[in-house]
Amino acid sequence: MAWTKWSYMDHWVTETPQGPQPPSFNRDHMDRYVKQLSALGFRGFDTFFFYLPILAGLYGSVKAFEEYLQDNGFDKITGIFSAYPYATEYTAPHVSETHDRIVADCQATIRAVEGLSVENFIVMPSTTYFQVEPVTDEKIKIMADLWNRVGRLTLEHGMRTTCHFEFWGAIRTREQLDLFFSYTDPQYVYFFCDTAQHTIAGVDPIQMFRDYRDRCTGFHFKDTHTVDTHEAYRTPPDPELMAPQVTRWFHEMGTDGGLVDFPALIREIVTSGYDGWLTVEHDKAELDGGSYAEATCVAKWYIDNVLAEAQALADQGAAR
Amino acid sequence: MKDTLRWAYALNQWNIRMDVFVRHEDQRRALKTCSALGFHHVELAAGTGRWDNLGRPEVIELNHGGPAGFLDFLHGCSVHGVSSMYWDPGQPAEEEGWAFRSTRNRDDHAAIVESAKPFADFLAAIGTEQLVVRPAGSAWLQPPLGADDVKTIGEVWNAVGKVAAAAGVGVALHYDCLSAVHSADEVGQLLAATDPALVGFALDTAELTIGGIDPVAFYAGHADRVTHVHLKDTRYADTGEEYRMPGAETTMLRGGAGRRIERWFFELGTEGGLVDVKAFVATLREHDYPGWVVVESDHGGNPAELAMLNSWYLQHELGVAKS
Amino acid sequence: MTRAADERRIKWSYMDHWRSNGPAGPIDQWHSHRSMSSFLKQIKAVGFDAMDTFDFRLWQMYGDYGGPAKYQEMVQDHGLERIVNIFHAADYDVRNYAPHLPETHENILEDFRVTMGHWSSIELDNIIVMPATLYYDMEPITEDKLKITAELWNKVGEITAGYGVRLTCHHEFFCGIQSEPDIETFYSYTDPEYVSLFVDTAQHCIASVDPVALYRRHAHRVSGFHFKDTRNIATGDDHRHRPDSEIMAPTTGKWFYEMGTPNGLVDFTAMMTAVRDNEYQGWITVEHDKANRYGGDYAESTAVARWHAVNVLEKIYR
Repeated sequence: MAWTKWSYMDHWVTETPQGPQPPSFNRDHMDRYVKQLSALGFRGFDTFFFYLPILAGLYGSVKAFEEYLQDNGFDKITGIFSAYPYATEYTAPHVSETHDRIVADCQATIRAVEGLSVENFIVMPSTTYFQVEPVTDEKIKIMADLWNRVGRLTLEHGMRTTCHFEFWGAIRTREQLDLFFSYTDPQYVYFFCDTAQHTIAGVDPIQMFRDYRDRCTGFHFKDTHTVDTHEAYRTPPDPELMAPQVTRWFHEMGTDGGLVDFPALIREIVTSGYDGWLTVEHDKAELDGGSYAEATCVAKWYIDNVLAEAQALADQGAAR
Repeated sequence: MKDTLRWAYALNQWNIRMDVFVRHEDQRRALKTCSALGFHHVELAAGTGRWDNLGRPEVIELNHGGPAGFLDFLHGCSVHGVSSMYWDPGQPAEEEGWAFRSTRNRDDHAAIVESAKPFADFLAAIGTEQLVVRPAGSAWLQPPLGADDVKTIGEVWNAVGKVAAAAGVGVALHYDCLSAVHSADEVGQLLAATDPALVGFALDTAELTIGGIDPVAFYAGHADRVTHVHLKDTRYADTGEEYRMPGAETTMLRGGAGRRIERWFFELGTEGGLVDVKAFVATLREHDYPGWVVVESDHGGNPAELAMLNSWYLQHELGVAKS
Repeated sequence: MTRAADERRIKWSYMDHWRSNGPAGPIDQWHSHRSMSSFLKQIKAVGFDAMDTFDFRLWQMYGDYGGPAKYQEMVQDHGLERIVNIFHAADYDVRNYAPHLPETHENILEDFRVTMGHWSSIELDNIIVMPATLYYDMEPITEDKLKITAELWNKVGEITAGYGVRLTCHHEFFCGIQSEPDIETFYSYTDPEYVSLFVDTAQHCIASVDPVALYRRHAHRVSGFHFKDTRNIATGDDHRHRPDSEIMAPTTGKWFYEMGTPNGLVDFTAMMTAVRDNEYQGWITVEHDKANRYGGDYAESTAVARWHAVNVLEKIYR
């Protein structure tokens, strides 16, 4: 049976009379966006913590927004993404003095989705690499301590804290990832596999999933054409948009030159017995004249055709 | 522009989402666009985070090494300098722990003055004259102004004005159509509550018009206090206290509710524009207005097209020669 | 813009490729009078003196504006001097319209007799043509074919000269006459009185022809320029892809960029120096067709190109 638990990570940009804007531009644009995703068959919706107050403003409450999703064929809001990509004196996961503040922020986000059944509390476990370096065992331990603390808290509210690693974050190599996970409690801190980010950092996302299957609670299915071989990850103040060698890191599934082997990944997922959500993401799809709507359609075509076939083969194998 | 008036162009129309207008080559293209159209000074707008890399002194420093490096960046595009920078202390910034601050709250005043200092110092270092500020938050987010509120707001701006003046930078209170200080009367009270030697007024032609205040008459009545101008047009005025709608930034200014007007601000010379731009500029000339006139398109569509149309209006409708 | 226009030896024209966003999607400036007016304002505001356009706009000029002269009045109402050059974008077809096939020549000559009549109501400097069919319709390129082609354009040039307009050849990288030896052979058979060269800096560069050297060799018969840039040289059979190499070439999705683009292959400083050395007087046309590809923006490209003209090229020669 085809995988039905596909969710969509909310990076969309659409045309408005004030130029290209996120659909939260106004209620009408947001409604249209939900309908567009629904038409493609997405059933889960992931969004950023900073959109929650905006959604509450547009719909009356986050719960009311979720009901609107449900009226349009969605199951629910599946994940909330929270992050501190940029270290400040107030918030920096590698600085333990800032942890109380970060935990307090997380509590505010938890309150914003109280009563819903969000599954993943997705976090960037570190800020930009250049703000943390030199990356030491001790700093990785400090970051692990923070997310152990947050993980215990979110679990009390039904959400698993799950770590999403950026290629430009302080925890990026396989050694750093392993060390970080060794310092975190499997009961409280989970793994979120972003296929493109790991690939850019030179880490095999499929092997990561294989090795951390028991702690994996989700995926961002997105592609890249480039492995960072120029230490672009150290570019201050931002490698994702400002790396001198690369203007666009991310692509939707199914583009020529894509480096991620998605059919192999879906086979691995099926074989492993994983039954959670799979999330489509393609942030900054508008670069080079791209369109979020088209990128999302092309990615869903890829799911319904290429991945469905790979999954069917894997299902047959599993049945045998 | 070759004129007795000093013209600049606001870069805010390029920076319309959090993850755009970040790469230096994109910024260079915008600067060259302004330069080619005769605008050799630009207005910056404060922001937050690594992607708003023209928005805070410390982030500009990370990008350009400091004031001199930043000026080199501008000069490389034949832009001579920065006329002004817009800053809203009520807009939470990551670098300040996302603190919510209100100029109406005396407890926040010390922090507001403190956070103004790096801006004033940076602007002084790059030869910029004006820190343009949002004097009060949106009306829909707060109770109606009480008897003491305007005075309280005035106090913090006097204090900021003092700090900025020490660095050699002026402070100008920018009127916007959502502001809690809304009517002509309230604006007059605020000006009266501030020290003319330290605090001026930033007159935005479209914002005043939306707010129901005639910019020409207002300027004529307050010429001695107007130290900064934003020149843009609008096709609409707030006809029913729309600024008090909950979420007015979205419900009013993005057409989320009410009359569903999704775009309010337009280029000079737009059809159906409500601002009498020629009369306004003529009034500036009559009073030998000494400050910057910043042409601004706000968030209206294609930035380069709007800059070109604004430049055309200056050259062909206002008779300003392009330098 | 401080000196009077007649003191300058170079004036700048804009070739009218343009796209903007309308409420119903992307439009070009011919969409409506309002969009045309907006386009002309923008071109004028950024400092162009005039514009060039395409032959195929003739019917819109008649239908929407009352003919070329009336349309030009609108151009002039926006402060631009006039229409300088017309690009005659013919639909080459080996059955009836192919310069290297003599049996099609009478049809082509008749086309120009009619065309020049249409344009006689305005003063033009050049009528610009791609002098050969698409490469794949002409290959193999032989001296004989080049000679036949030259003979046709000599005759066409005579027709256009009768209207006071120069016939000038613009060599696309994908047309039959694009390599350096073929270009040289072609001009050796054409009459300088009737056939001029129009240097498109990017097209020559893509075809591995140095536009500066080409210009220096033929400066006496160069009647105009398209100043535009490219980041790629055609390789393999890029130049012979059906139906249109500019769009279909496998190596490159976007061939053209505005002057001043990073990694541009055209040396505009050397080009302008050559223009100065040859004391060229007249029009230089800025072009950047398909600027909107990959998220590009015509308005911004045009402003950036103009910035380059003012801040780099006019420092060399103006």
